[in-house]
Amino acid sequence: MDLRLSGIAHRYGDLTAIERVDLTVGSGETVVLIGPSGCGKSTLLGIAGGLLAPGAGRVETAGAAPAGCLNPLTYVFQDFALLPWRTVEGNVALALEHHPLTASERAERVDAALALTGLREFALVYPKQLSGGMRQRVGLARAVVVRPAILLLDEPLSALDAQTRELLMADLLAIWERERTTALYVTHNLAEAARLGDRVVVMSRRPGRIKDTLAIDLPRGARERPEHAAAMADLQARLWRLIEDEARVAEREVADG
Amino acid sequence: MLRIAVVAALLVSGAALAQTKTSIALLPLTSSAPVFVGVDRGHFKAEGLEVELKFMQSAAAVPTAIASGDADFGVTGLTGGFYNLAGKGAVRIVASQAREETGFRFNAFIVSNKAYAEGLTRVDQFKGRSIGLTTIGSTFHYVFGRLAEKQGWQLEQGQLRALQTVPAMLAAVKGGQVDVIQAPPPTGIAIDKAGEGKLIGWVADHVPWQLGALFTAPKTIAERRPLVERFVRAYQKAAAEYDANFQKGAPGKDADALLEIIAKHTKSIPEAVKAGLPYIDPMARLRVQDIYDQIAWNKANKLVDAAVDAKTVVDLSFVAGHLDLPR
Amino acid sequence: MAESAPRPVAFRGGGFQPSPRRWAPWLAFAAILGLWQAASAAGMLPSLFMPSPVEIGRALGSLAASGDLGRHLGASLYRIGLGWTLGAAAGLAVGLAMGLWSMARAVGIPVVSALFPIPKIALLPLFILWFGIGEPSKVATIALGTFFPTVVSAFGAVDNVPRNLIRMAQSFGLPVAEIVRKVVLPGALPGVLSGFRISASIALILVVAAEMIGAEFGVGAYILLTGNLMQIDRLLAGVVVLSLLGLAIGAILGRVEAWLLRWR
Ligand SMILES: Nc1ncnc2c1ncn2[C@@H]1O[C@H](COP(=O)(O)OP(=O)(O)O)[C@@H](O)[C@H]1O
Ligand SMILES: [Mg+2]
Repeated sequence: MDLRLSGIAHRYGDLTAIERVDLTVGSGETVVLIGPSGCGKSTLLGIAGGLLAPGAGRVETAGAAPAGCLNPLTYVFQDFALLPWRTVEGNVALALEHHPLTASERAERVDAALALTGLREFALVYPKQLSGGMRQRVGLARAVVVRPAILLLDEPLSALDAQTRELLMADLLAIWERERTTALYVTHNLAEAARLGDRVVVMSRRPGRIKDTLAIDLPRGARERPEHAAAMADLQARLWRLIEDEARVAEREVADG
Repeated sequence: MLRIAVVAALLVSGAALAQTKTSIALLPLTSSAPVFVGVDRGHFKAEGLEVELKFMQSAAAVPTAIASGDADFGVTGLTGGFYNLAGKGAVRIVASQAREETGFRFNAFIVSNKAYAEGLTRVDQFKGRSIGLTTIGSTFHYVFGRLAEKQGWQLEQGQLRALQTVPAMLAAVKGGQVDVIQAPPPTGIAIDKAGEGKLIGWVADHVPWQLGALFTAPKTIAERRPLVERFVRAYQKAAAEYDANFQKGAPGKDADALLEIIAKHTKSIPEAVKAGLPYIDPMARLRVQDIYDQIAWNKANKLVDAAVDAKTVVDLSFVAGHLDLPR
Repeated sequence: MAESAPRPVAFRGGGFQPSPRRWAPWLAFAAILGLWQAASAAGMLPSLFMPSPVEIGRALGSLAASGDLGRHLGASLYRIGLGWTLGAAAGLAVGLAMGLWSMARAVGIPVVSALFPIPKIALLPLFILWFGIGEPSKVATIALGTFFPTVVSAFGAVDNVPRNLIRMAQSFGLPVAEIVRKVVLPGALPGVLSGFRISASIALILVVAAEMIGAEFGVGAYILLTGNLMQIDRLLAGVVVLSLLGLAIGAILGRVEAWLLRWR
């Protein structure tokens, strides 16, 4: 399924968060959205999934959703957004309970999602008993359990430490490889962008606009190989050059933003 | 002549210097009238006493103030709580205060309009009726108890409604939530006049009794006997003046002045005071047997501890000629 | 700095971390009672105003032996139970409505702010006129006293449900009723329960006031009666019963809370 954003603009009172953004994410493609803090990435993602009404512009999807899809546009949140009073299993099931599934269908789906994210043995555990990485795996399980057409990920790994982040990136790649989901992935981390994106879209500082787009040709599975290390370093350096000035100015602005 | 004047002046100033400070706990009610008269008409001063009036919020607080040493003397109604304190040696009665005396009118029986309409029109019909009180063990409770005894019916716990305050008790009879209360004057008359209830009789006509007393701490009697003697003497003079002006048929020559004094201290007006004066014994004598009867009734109703001995509650040595001495 | 022998670094952290000491409250309680009894025995406390623990215990014993304790407790528990249930249920409904709907909130906040501070005890004569002097006025006193704190806590509890959880539920397409049932209400539960603790204490405080209105039985009525009769040992026995009742209710609510919030 494609995701098409056209002429998106958004204001919070007097503050213009996004000026004018046109962006299309093709079916099966992963677009990483990168930009300095406060440039409107979360705002744009909120608009993309229908959680926020845009000030101007249109959001459309096109194409067929995968079989068994219950929630075409599905989020993974930076702060996980787990219900602390539900077990791992309960949190994952929450996404299904209001859909007309039989109990066994539901149980099968939950079980498959837990298996995919390596959470099976934690099914009956409450979130507070889990590490940050495991909690975000619950967030992923809850997202995949509805068989989404498009995943919207808002800095899903930013709350995690560097090693956990590496592990989860590998998991994410594995899942995308299998499910062939379309994804719009927001981050401010250059390494994540270089590792995960088919395309990296760089946003300017506020008011957010698209400043540049970089396609990454290397297949994602191959990017960790030693022979590509130089190319990857070069890619990250290019990305840094693109956002360095923006980040420098934005950082000084944050206080009055 | 001059020499006499100088001596007199010296005596007066000497007396002024010798003024003993003392205090009395009381309620701002007409039943405290002898104290107000004694202060404002100079009877205490003549005995060399400078009396501070300490007004209390409730009848229960008056003997408590004596027990805690906050005041030397107290005047108020006699309740179960009072006798319990007296029984523990905290207070002792030395003279009388108000009395429900046959032929005089003070507290009245007030029935609700609803009860009146149902036929509750006479004082001998309270059996089984709901009765509003301030508290269990109050003077009101005692009167209903004695009335029941006299009329030969049983006062049941279940028919009593303790409402804690006089305003709540009045509200309850006006609203018909209780059938009967006793109202102090002039409130009882006012309720009847306003049509908010019916006055059907006077307590004094049915249960004459020793309503209140003057008391002090046994320790004060033991250690400062002359002070108590002077205080009681002044109190008796004030009672005699009260009696001469209000209880001899026609009002006395100072009646208006006394009404002003009582009105000032009770935050009322002379006309209202006049309508609500209690009977005060002219010599502040007690009906002693009645005190004994009260204690016996309170004990029988488990309101006063069985250990309380009536003999230690009263000290008869300050007033000559007490009435109804127990046999 | 000149060459010098190595010095150990002194520990300077620690402290500021309350750790449970289960025996401490019991010991403190026993120590206070012991001191009190010793002071009474030595004649340092006037027995008239401050009876010894043994005297209070004796008064409590005879109250229990006479069978009146059960009757007083029964009457008070009935009033507290019914009044608190009514007040808390109505308060919960209003508070949740105010948390959920802007209209209810716009109307509710000024009304609650205006009515909350009215002292319920000052309204007793009015309650006699409205509800009579039977059980309804007593139950109403407690119900009204517990209603407002429950409204405020329920409203605050809903307001404090993390917005991100509601957004998450919306992003999965949960219908509004489901969001309320599965996210807002469980999320508000901790706040609601701590509100219940407060309103239960208020119900206990108000039972004495409620039983000022013509009550024959009840722990509050007993306290008033013995106070008026200057039977201080029995008065304090009544106070002890009331505190034990408070402890018991607190313990029960604690258990319920621990069970309902076992995910914490
Ligand atoms: N609800 C809001 N109300 C007002 N301003 C907001 C709100 N949400 C975000 N903003 C502001 O809009 C700008 C863009 O925010 P956001 O989209 O969260 O940026 P990013 O995710 O890129 O850090 C920031 O300056 C932020 O302070
Ligand atoms: Mg953001």
